[in-house]
Amino acid sequence: MIKNTIYLLLIIGILPYSAIAQEEDNNKTQGRFFGGVESNSQYYVDDPKLGDFMFEDRFRSNNYINANYNYGKLTGGIQIEAYEKNSLLNYNPKYKGTDLATFYLDYKSEKLDITGGYFYEQFGSGLILRTWEDRALGINNALRGGRIVYRPNNNISLKALYGRQRSGFSVSDGHIFGFDSEFYLTDYLNLETSDLSVGVSYVGRYEETDIENPKFSELTNAMAFRFNYYKGSFYASGEANYKTEDAVLDAQNEIGNDFIEPGSAYLLNFGYTKSGLGVDVTLRRIENMGFYSERVPEILDANNTSLNYNDKILNYLPGLTKQHHSNLANIYVYQAQASVSYLDVDKMKSGETGGQIDIFYNFKKGSTIGGKYGTKVALNVATWYNLPGKYKFFPQEYDTEFFGVAQKYFADYNIEIKKRFNDGWRSGLYFIHQYYDKSLIEGGEVVNADILAIENTWSIGEKQSLRLELEHLWADADRRNWAGGTLEYNLNRNLSFYVWDIYNYGTHKEAEKNHYYNFGGAYRFGAWRIAANYGRQRGGLVCVGGVCRFVPENTGYTLNISTSF
Amino acid sequence: MNKITFIICCLIATYSQAQSQMPNVQLKNLENNYKNVYKDYSETDKVYVFSFWATWCAPCINELEAIKENYSEWKEEVDFEVVAISIDDSRTMRRIKPLVNGKSWKYEILLDTNQELKRALQINNIPHVIVVKNQKVEYVHNGYVEGGEEELFEKIKAL
Repeated sequence: MIKNTIYLLLIIGILPYSAIAQEEDNNKTQGRFFGGVESNSQYYVDDPKLGDFMFEDRFRSNNYINANYNYGKLTGGIQIEAYEKNSLLNYNPKYKGTDLATFYLDYKSEKLDITGGYFYEQFGSGLILRTWEDRALGINNALRGGRIVYRPNNNISLKALYGRQRSGFSVSDGHIFGFDSEFYLTDYLNLETSDLSVGVSYVGRYEETDIENPKFSELTNAMAFRFNYYKGSFYASGEANYKTEDAVLDAQNEIGNDFIEPGSAYLLNFGYTKSGLGVDVTLRRIENMGFYSERVPEILDANNTSLNYNDKILNYLPGLTKQHHSNLANIYVYQAQASVSYLDVDKMKSGETGGQIDIFYNFKKGSTIGGKYGTKVALNVATWYNLPGKYKFFPQEYDTEFFGVAQKYFADYNIEIKKRFNDGWRSGLYFIHQYYDKSLIEGGEVVNADILAIENTWSIGEKQSLRLELEHLWADADRRNWAGGTLEYNLNRNLSFYVWDIYNYGTHKEAEKNHYYNFGGAYRFGAWRIAANYGRQRGGLVCVGGVCRFVPENTGYTLNISTSF
Repeated sequence: MNKITFIICCLIATYSQAQSQMPNVQLKNLENNYKNVYKDYSETDKVYVFSFWATWCAPCINELEAIKENYSEWKEEVDFEVVAISIDDSRTMRRIKPLVNGKSWKYEILLDTNQELKRALQINNIPHVIVVKNQKVEYVHNGYVEGGEEELFEKIKAL
């Protein structure tokens, strides 16, 4: 806290001084204050069906105040976070109390951008480095240090950085070094009808180890090459990433000298697109790419380490599947299997391989299928497998093959049809088939699930509208069948109310036969949003953008307030 | 509890203030070129509608689809342009290009892949629309419901 206060005073101290220095160059420059506030609170209650609230502090609240000041080329800012009395259920326990969370000072000119303090960065698609903030998941892994971005012209971009990664209100032990470059070759190669760029990046993580005579280097290096090409309707991009040999975490979350492996990740994406049609293919192979700012996860409580809270993770390895919006299509959500994980003699994983295909098609207005308003169809297929090769349980070792597949982790085949019937009625139909080998990922059964969802939106008069979505999930294992529905009423552009319920009527366990209902409303005005609701949270993974957070079942009142200024 | 009171006070203190201008942030468009959201959208008296969306955000897509239905007509009436800023990260960003073409959108698309602009503007929820004229933020709205595009156009016309 004292250290943070000193940093804060430094920033407050430097800003006005630099503002005066600026004033001499440019009399027109005006200072500008901006930022945002977000508050998410919950009051947990005892539930006659789901059980009593078993944790400390029934009232919990996550609050964020972000304030920045810009004057000419200089911008400085802070973020204060308050978790009072405690953070929301199953957030990282390191988020506790109120404190200065991040701060920065940035100088930005046409060609140069220099940042000191906390900063967010991503190299390429993030397979070796991504620092970001996602408040819904409790992720803020910004680096604290310094970064220089230099863009001498429109064709070259260079970045260099050093930092330590944020964890709770502090930083983790590892020292992170990074370099990234991107070159637009179109002008140099005199390409007239096409466009090509390439990039090279490096990330180094230096962390001292307690292991005596380590057989791995204390500095782990990760390198990447990427390209991006398009010509007319065709486009392609790719990335190759390599991480040098490092100790691999075992099932007890420990490391030693006996299990040391390098890591790699390959990504290839290509597609064809013209007006009314889009086809996109993504293939990815990842082996042993868990990359953390500290090799050994921090033990935070009896059941959880920092990894369970997405803490101290350096790279971004999202599950590449379609993000569905129906409630029931989010019960079996795939998380990328990027790390080595030995669960049992028949469940030895070293990564994942697979791909995803998307097709978008617009049946034109006036055609047979298009009708008066046109019909939009989206198809998506994704399948992910373990890496093939020879695995040995004891002593732990593996030798993978580059091509081919092993056990299937997950598959999702889905179609979405959207159609407007008249000015006041719009409809959507979704069919989704999922295969989820829960035993390989979380522990459990192999599940085949089919989901059908039908959505209708009607306009009532000038300003009001009603949305009704009905959905059903058929599953052959786990918690089996579910039925659900959502009704949303928009009174006007600012005010909405909703109620939804999903009912696990098909389960064979009486205790699981629950309604998970939720109702509430939201008021929006300008940048303000105020939402209140009451309901039951289904236990399990809550996922945002392919990254998930585990939450226990709970019931309560929620209040969310946010704005920016 | 004092801390909460403090936060509430901060909330009240900031009420009714909207960010005055777009920040000095560069984003790539689908043609791989950098665009500065402050400097490159500064034509005198032209209205720019920055619409924050993502491939996974159904109301965002509904709003952009609804604007599309009227886009050419409205553009004849008022000098304005929609700039659709995608906050898709590397999980879903590959879906942007085929989706935009599949839906035949004519908007310029900017990619805020690691949420640099979203963070600078402290946008918490999408859809989120910022209307700019002569480099000044004139109107902000978040959320979309059926018919919301008509009200948005009324605001644009009134500027």
